[in-house]
Amino acid sequence: MTMRTLTTALLAGAALLAAAPLGEAKAQGQKTVLNYGMASKDMGRLDPHLTATTPDKALLQMIFNGLVRFKPGSLSLEQMEPDLAEKWTRSADGKEWVFMLRKGVQCHRGYGELTSDDVVYSLKRASDTKTSSFASDYKDIDKVEAPDKYTVKITLKSAIPSLLLFVANLHGGNIVCKKAAVEAGENFKVKPIGTGPFMFEEYKPQQSVTLVANKQYFRGAPKLERIVYRYIESDASRDLAFASGELDLVYGRQDETWVERTKKVKDAVVAVIEPAELSSIYLNTKHEILKDIRVRKAIAHAIDRKAMVQLKGASTAREARSIVPIGYLGQADDVPLLPFDLEKSKALLKEAGHPNGFTLKIIHTNLSGMLPTMQAWQAMLKKVGINLEIDVVEHATFHAQIRKDLSPIVHYAAARPPVADIYLTQFFHSRSQVNTPTAVTNFTHCNQADAEIDAARSEPDPAKAKALWRTAQIKLMENVCAVPSHEQLQTFAYKSNLVFGYDLKGSLSLGPPILETTHFK
Amino acid sequence: MLQYLIKRLLYAVPTLLAVLTVVFFVARVLPGDPAQVMLGEQAGAEAIQALRVRLGLDRPLVEQYVDFMQGALSGDWGTSLVTGRSVLGEVLNVIPFTIELTLASILLGALIGVPLGAWSALHRNSLVDYATRIGSLFGLSFPAFVMAIMLLLAFAIQLDWFPVISSGGGGSVSERLLHLALPAVNLGIIMAAYITRVTRSSMLEVLGEDYVRTARAKGVPHRAVVWQHCLRNALIPVVTVVGLYLGILIGNSVLTEIVFNRPGLGKLIVGALTQRDYTMLQGLMVVYTFIIVVVNLLTDLTYGFIDPRVKYQ
Repeated sequence: MTMRTLTTALLAGAALLAAAPLGEAKAQGQKTVLNYGMASKDMGRLDPHLTATTPDKALLQMIFNGLVRFKPGSLSLEQMEPDLAEKWTRSADGKEWVFMLRKGVQCHRGYGELTSDDVVYSLKRASDTKTSSFASDYKDIDKVEAPDKYTVKITLKSAIPSLLLFVANLHGGNIVCKKAAVEAGENFKVKPIGTGPFMFEEYKPQQSVTLVANKQYFRGAPKLERIVYRYIESDASRDLAFASGELDLVYGRQDETWVERTKKVKDAVVAVIEPAELSSIYLNTKHEILKDIRVRKAIAHAIDRKAMVQLKGASTAREARSIVPIGYLGQADDVPLLPFDLEKSKALLKEAGHPNGFTLKIIHTNLSGMLPTMQAWQAMLKKVGINLEIDVVEHATFHAQIRKDLSPIVHYAAARPPVADIYLTQFFHSRSQVNTPTAVTNFTHCNQADAEIDAARSEPDPAKAKALWRTAQIKLMENVCAVPSHEQLQTFAYKSNLVFGYDLKGSLSLGPPILETTHFK
Repeated sequence: MLQYLIKRLLYAVPTLLAVLTVVFFVARVLPGDPAQVMLGEQAGAEAIQALRVRLGLDRPLVEQYVDFMQGALSGDWGTSLVTGRSVLGEVLNVIPFTIELTLASILLGALIGVPLGAWSALHRNSLVDYATRIGSLFGLSFPAFVMAIMLLLAFAIQLDWFPVISSGGGGSVSERLLHLALPAVNLGIIMAAYITRVTRSSMLEVLGEDYVRTARAKGVPHRAVVWQHCLRNALIPVVTVVGLYLGILIGNSVLTEIVFNRPGLGKLIVGALTQRDYTMLQGLMVVYTFIIVVVNLLTDLTYGFIDPRVKYQ
């Protein structure tokens, strides 16, 4: 029994025995300090162009702005709205974008007004592999210029209709203040200076980061005075601190038991939000056994998506519909998803010359959120005679080994910016094949949809782009490169007196945005 | 005495160098890439390679080793590969919390364990003795993290006496003590169990010694026999155990630190391991080795205070 399982069981028992006291929140007056509990050992790097971890991203969204932003609480690309840019135009060929900036936006800590120079510097910084983890997102940018103090012109090598995604308040799209970034140099990651509603104030190692209200915020002074962002690794401790009233908002576990238990805590509201992480089985199509499409189809027919949702819990999980997560721009619902059919699976294996099944050695992470998923698939595949021998390793080792092509079957759960292009490129484009110099996460070695993926990226007509992405998904599904299983949503809990100031349905930063409107009733 | 101290500290130098060398190479043999961990799962191979070059991880291992040893010997422990913050700074930030917790646990363990062990030995095979033995066995076998959650449920949730997040508190002594109480009790119970058992067996041995029988025959009062003749001699193995466990406790306090959300060296080393933060791991190993050396030295010196027959040469 793992530590997490045992602690969960203990907590569940204790919560039942002492439901009322557990739920008793401490008396609160008109609060202006938000205590936020995040599942993490410690702060990572508070440089938006470098960090990709959920704990850092959820915090950075309070400090930085993009030229545009996702409507708070939403992930819809169609609902993007102005942020630092008041408006923007696009040339007819889609290669020139001009953004007109708001006037009077102030950088934190007296670093002056944000101008087009800052934006040019920031986008160039985001495009540079020396200073950015997201440089490849900007490889189609030819130049970024500042014709005047409040205008930014971006010229592209080829049209990218989804450019707004890369200048939005996420990853490299977060705009840093030039003077502060240059002055801090390598230390910018511990001295982040942006233009957002909250300013970095203090970091206590292994404990917390404190943010204070930016009274000069261009949308108005925040109603909260302070945010104490606590790093609490243990799920049990985070839940107990929430129940005791020491925390107002906590990162939850993506499972039904957590949701049901937390709902019983007094004054608790449980939020299950987008984006979902799509769990798929990626099949190495070059593997000596898996290269036979009949075997891959047999695997797909043996996976029971309904049972997976039951296992994970209907309130936090849903059946996958494609190899791209539900709701992403370009995700197609009418792709050939092979149904659960054990007889068909066995027949296909027999046809492929494996009447008694076969054994595969695979590698998997010991992460408690992922291992049970693979064990459930292992049990399902066992029913048709496919025996998976799982070599369980710790998470960093898992990532290193699957990128060396050492596991013929890879379980990967991921959420990406909500456009099909990114998911398809990273997981199915030949450029992204593992064990190559340009590798990302194509564990399947599939390349059947390269042309459609590339064409869709620069297709100015949204309808045509969607059609290309649909074709790509159909081709890849027909080739059974991967078996999409289920999707798991993000879970948070907050006190009922906390008002976000928007309708919380999702957050690309994987944490509820805390804005100038957020307050306690 | 001073000569002895210098000699012992000098002996530690080759130990430190050996530990550093082993840690340097073992850390790099482990599968997993710090650049991959730092850049996240979405990072492409090109970006990962670029970062490896920037971090100097692409250079020959021997070259990296020479650089590292030069830095370590000149007091430059470098910066964390993952956070970019100074290794020494990170260690100094959390070490007071670890020392505070370890010493409090040892103190608590000794205050409970020594009298209980002695009492149990003096009442051998009585109800008290059985209860003590069962209790100490329970303390030894009960997992620290389960005990931690039970303490939190009882004292932080039900009774609301202590905070759940025992992060160390603010500047005031009372606040620090409030934050230290539950984690110290959690580890202190384990220490008390160890000390009780060692004290009991040591006392039983001493109680059967000829000089104790002689003292009793001479009519020395019971209290004097116990305090002056028995307990003092029985404490030598107890000090050895305390010294041994002090080092172990510093490393093993990680679960307590995690559950009580307390900063500490244990959390730092687990984080460095999972993130393949080589420089941080190396720095932490220096600290650990140094602590073990100092604790062993202090243990040896304590023998002299307890038993005047012990001489240092």
